Amino acid sequence: MDYEVVIPSTADGALAVRVRRWLAAPGQPVKQGRDLVEVTTEKIALYVAVPADGVLAEIRVPAGNTARVGLVIGLVRGE
Amino acid sequence: MDGLWLDLGLVRYAPAFALQERALAARLAGRLPPLIVVQENPPTLTLGRDSSPDNILVSAAELAARGIELVEVNRGGDVTYHGPGQLIASPLLYLNDLGINANQYLHRLEDVLLEVLAWFGLQAERRAGYPGAWLGQAKVGAVGIGVRHGCTFHGLALNVDLDLAPFRLINPCGMAALPVTSVAAAGQRSVTMQSARLALRRALASAFDLRLADCHLADLSG
Repeated sequence: MDYEVVIPSTADGALAVRVRRWLAAPGQPVKQGRDLVEVTTEKIALYVAVPADGVLAEIRVPAGNTARVGLVIGLVRGE
Repeated sequence: MDGLWLDLGLVRYAPAFALQERALAARLAGRLPPLIVVQENPPTLTLGRDSSPDNILVSAAELAARGIELVEVNRGGDVTYHGPGQLIASPLLYLNDLGINANQYLHRLEDVLLEVLAWFGLQAERRAGYPGAWLGQAKVGAVGIGVRHGCTFHGLALNVDLDLAPFRLINPCGMAALPVTSVAAAGQRSVTMQSARLALRRALASAFDLRLADCHLADLSG
């Protein structure tokens, strides 16, 4: 089963969120609850958690790009 | 909500930052109630996640010669200066408990800065598009936060009574020649760090509906 990695709703939808850093590479095992990706607004750094144990299957929004709240920026394939 | 107030006093930024990370981990693990960490630091530049090296106007050697430490931190924003006489408060609070999003939380921190400044008779303002607290064209308080799993960290910095000269070594918050001021420089010469601490504590407790009790490092390690 695939789990979506989503820009969290705690960021204001009106703000541009920049994907700063993925903390795992595609194909790498990831553990639920750990930090997976760092995104920033002008004064806020947000850490998006791994949604489920598994493998980072896909990065849809690479580092350096902007994304809006609610956008799926990656997929984790569950174990 | 009941919460804890941990005043570290004057401490180097890096170990205080490490302590905040540990406290955040404990908070996320459900081992800590709401916590506000307060500190002053020796001269330090911190680089937020959006920092550009171009915004430090002097060499690393000159910073070292002036006794200024350089620390990379996981908050939003660009480079800024911290030093003795500046109060930093870092609330570790769940946004869900507050019922607000990260951007609203940032504004709430600005409200706290404005309230503290009003307590000292200074009518500071927000400036659209330029987060922080402003006295005219000069910045007197800054905000910059991190959010991990819905819990906030980092927070606000208020210039109470500090040497403002080191701000000229950088483009504060990425803004060239940004005027920076303090409560004392704005005319409140008699301000004390103790009175600023009390005003800040009261404003934070009110803004986040917290009943704050003092705690000490030993309480956290137990």
